[in-house]
Amino acid sequence: MDKKNINHIIQLSKELRWQIGDDFHDHLTEGIYADAAQIVNDSVRLKNGKTTNRLDQKIDAIVTSKIWGFPIMFILLGLTLWLTIIGANYPSALLGHLLLDTVHPILKQGSEVIGLPFWLDGFLIDGVYLAVAWVVAVMLPPMAIFFPLFTLLEDFGYLPRVAFNLDHLFKKAGAHGKQALTMSMGFGCNAAGVVATRIIDSPRERLIAIITNNFSLCNGRWPTQILIATIFIGAVVPPLFSSLTALLAVIGIAVLGMFFMFASSWLLSKTVLKGEVSTFNLELPPYRPPRFWKTIYTSLIDRTLIVLWRAVVFAAPAGAVIWLISNIEINNLSIAFHLIQFFDDFGFLIGLNGVILLAYIVAIPANEIVIPTVLMLTVLVTGIDAGVGQGVLFELDSASATGAILREGGWTLLTAVNLMLFSLLHNPCSTTIYTIYKETNSVKWTTIATLYPILLGLAVTFLVAQFWRIF
Amino acid sequence: MEYNPLWALSIFLILIGVLWWFFQPNKGWFWQLKKQSRINEKIIIEDILKQLYHFETSSQKVDMKTLIQVLNYSNHKLLEALNVMGIKHLISNDLNAIKLTESGREYALRIVRVHRLYEKYLAEKTGFHKTEWHEMADSMEHHLSHEEADLLADQLGHPQFDPHGDPIPTRSGQIAEILGTELHLLPIGTVGHITHIEDEPEVIYKQILAENIHIGSLIRVIESNPTRVVFESEGEIFKLAPVVAANLTITLLSAEGDTQQDIARLSSLQKSEKGKIIGFSKEIRGENRRRLLDLGFVKGAMVDLDLVNPLGDPNAYAIKGTSIALRKEQADKILIEKIES
Amino acid sequence: MKTGMTTTCETCPHYTSEGLKKMGVDADQADFVIALAGNPNTGKSTVFNALTGLRQHTGNWPGKTVAKAEGAFSYRGQKYKLVDLPGTYSLLSTSEDEEIARDFILFGQPTITIIVVDANRLERNLNLVLQILEITQNAILCLNLMDEAERNEIEIDVRTLSKDLGIPVIPTSARYKRGIPELLQAISEMANGQTQVQPHKIKRVPPNIEKAVNRLSKEIKKEFPGVPNSRWLAFRLLEGDPQIIQALKTGVFS
Repeated sequence: MDKKNINHIIQLSKELRWQIGDDFHDHLTEGIYADAAQIVNDSVRLKNGKTTNRLDQKIDAIVTSKIWGFPIMFILLGLTLWLTIIGANYPSALLGHLLLDTVHPILKQGSEVIGLPFWLDGFLIDGVYLAVAWVVAVMLPPMAIFFPLFTLLEDFGYLPRVAFNLDHLFKKAGAHGKQALTMSMGFGCNAAGVVATRIIDSPRERLIAIITNNFSLCNGRWPTQILIATIFIGAVVPPLFSSLTALLAVIGIAVLGMFFMFASSWLLSKTVLKGEVSTFNLELPPYRPPRFWKTIYTSLIDRTLIVLWRAVVFAAPAGAVIWLISNIEINNLSIAFHLIQFFDDFGFLIGLNGVILLAYIVAIPANEIVIPTVLMLTVLVTGIDAGVGQGVLFELDSASATGAILREGGWTLLTAVNLMLFSLLHNPCSTTIYTIYKETNSVKWTTIATLYPILLGLAVTFLVAQFWRIF
Repeated sequence: MEYNPLWALSIFLILIGVLWWFFQPNKGWFWQLKKQSRINEKIIIEDILKQLYHFETSSQKVDMKTLIQVLNYSNHKLLEALNVMGIKHLISNDLNAIKLTESGREYALRIVRVHRLYEKYLAEKTGFHKTEWHEMADSMEHHLSHEEADLLADQLGHPQFDPHGDPIPTRSGQIAEILGTELHLLPIGTVGHITHIEDEPEVIYKQILAENIHIGSLIRVIESNPTRVVFESEGEIFKLAPVVAANLTITLLSAEGDTQQDIARLSSLQKSEKGKIIGFSKEIRGENRRRLLDLGFVKGAMVDLDLVNPLGDPNAYAIKGTSIALRKEQADKILIEKIES
Repeated sequence: MKTGMTTTCETCPHYTSEGLKKMGVDADQADFVIALAGNPNTGKSTVFNALTGLRQHTGNWPGKTVAKAEGAFSYRGQKYKLVDLPGTYSLLSTSEDEEIARDFILFGQPTITIIVVDANRLERNLNLVLQILEITQNAILCLNLMDEAERNEIEIDVRTLSKDLGIPVIPTSARYKRGIPELLQAISEMANGQTQVQPHKIKRVPPNIEKAVNRLSKEIKKEFPGVPNSRWLAFRLLEGDPQIIQALKTGVFS
């Protein structure tokens, strides 16, 4: 709706602009800065003639030095991860005990007392409640430790120095140094890592960081890796070395993830993303002592709870679906059973099986429930008695008991290796997919970010399976 | 069929091979077919018009033979197109020389305008590498209408020159002037700015890019003979073959202008030195240029090297009270004057 | 630098955070709308939190707040809505952040725009300040991080700065809640029309641009007699800013 006729003004502006020439913006900015310099000259006096802080310079000289720069970085990242994994064990076990072993039976009893029908009780308590409880128990403690630690480093001003130190490596892959940080954040949670890419203000490098964030093994996947490595890989070597070997296998997978991250970044920047604008600037802000409690509080609110809430929202329907497919029967067999049979051949081709594929499909919302789902489905298929009802997620206290069930389900070393690979290389969880959509506002990039890792995963597991069988 | 891992593997590899054959960048069948299907009479006519225009501005005569040499079409298709052009009064054909008519020139100018505007667009608003601009603009020039070209011009702030330094005609046909001489013709000791870098043929253009020579740079000729041209620019020495040098156009500085012997690139600044920014290469474009200006990298600003990177790149520079890291290729394109501290 | 930053006054009842009631996100039916603009990493969010009692995360990272956040407070019986704009270095480029900030200052028509700057890096911050002063008449400069400036032994003559810029300048250290009462006072006075302002206009533009801007600005004034920022609109028209052209056509400014 054009109310004003201002064509003559527009026309004039076009002519004037052409006459001024191509340097208009340069001259204007220079003009503004010239005014600024004059004003500052009038009113600011430096007593020591320097605006930079001496202490800042001293810290910088250490954290970006050739000798100390990298060790400090690795120690801090290692320490953060270690504190997260070790520190989260206890509260996780406690929460698990509370939500799964205490509250769940109480709920079951309660529903019995008020006489809920079998299907409603199963659907709500065994389906929805269990899945949500699982996600909360596994996800909350590590995030509540990891994010505040990370935020403390961030508030202090150290993280931009990490980006500074590592930029050269990332540049070679066509990415931005700040991707080192969004990647590290991804070790906590990919959805949070994707949100964190906001600090990258160059469109191309930001998309790269978003699409490749999934290659950082997140919180929901570490336990899977550790469990499977302990059961299968650790068993290959003499018992004395088994836990060390399992640990090395898990670290190997994480490093492989970094390799895929770099390789994919390079590939993306040379192909689909080459037309996106690419800029670089990295401001190194002054150090500021972080305010401990405030940081803890805000990082809990800003990052942990928001991400957790999204995960819960997505996990609830997944729990319902899992319960439904294992309890609704067609021709006397549950839907889950039919689906597993349907996927079994393809699963075999890529060195996995139908159970794993189905578990990954229904567990798209949250990687945390993959292992419980796999166990539940294996029991369903093999008919072992594990002491729980049909379609009820569960986990066993000992790794060897879990291993026994899985071996009963036909698992071999190849299945284990490929599961570890597949757990690294598959589509992001739905919380992350949703977050990617929110951040990029683009169906195209969301689709690429979703399909690219899963295609890669299928190709890698397929190749590994064929070579494994040939040799 | 019985499952056999060898078979499975072979099928997979064959599948990948076929896909690669079809879709490999540029050479893949898919792209070749797509390119072929796009060529039609309009495109041939427009390509001929553009060639005629370029020959005309460099005052060369054109006949059928030269056209066949420069344009990559079959004789048959060219003749057909020329025939149609004659009927439409785009060319006049007298005595072996093909010439543009008034309306033909207008048409050609529009194509040139679209081509250069689009190159400017690619340079300012996208991240495509400069070696790709020419080819992309070559295909776009046939698809944009007058109105779309005007919109593009609005968006770009009605630029006078394209990223190679060629003038962009306005819609009414106005062209900004460039005065300059090709580098290999200049006498020793001449000082001037590079105002144009020819992007055709591609082989030579890529060679110029590989030398890290930027449009807008100030140069001084040191040596010039039939075997090589040597010049100094921004504190570094460049040696070029005369054929390559001929693709650089230099605008001379007026005699009294200071020759600024002590210009250096920001990337050469050492920890103990101080610099004063005296300008930006034209090679920093679009969003990059605006960001750097916003961050305070403006003419006259004092700058020193704040932090040296443990891996050598990027380094952080202190400017207007803040430490800002720049990659080497950025610092290469910011010019400073070193100042005793 | 001692102006109102320290000493005994903080304890006496007249030190007037007393009239302040932090209202969190409850931003309905405000009497005045206040925009909070500034460079990244100047403690803008800390100022926001100090005024509203909210706890937005304020990371030590350039460019943390991406979307704009809203909050409210009431002071001496009047209710203010506070909008925290994304931190930007400039309003002349085309990034999303800058567009959000620019659009709000221009079309959101806030009663006052508070510009938060880092006292240690005044010169680079003034780039944004001078641009905002071309757009709006009612602005207050919040000279933040004064504690760091003191430590770095930087002295700022607030009166001269205020005179040069033509707007009130309030030194603060939002982290330690210093200077917030003075800031509230200045907001209240300006909102109630008790402050005289004469914002600085950009002077050092090359003559050919200045001439073009004057010509264009005159034409704009002819068509839109009421606009206070015709010069800035002229700058934008020369850049071919499609949003400004659209806004002029639909008569937002008349």
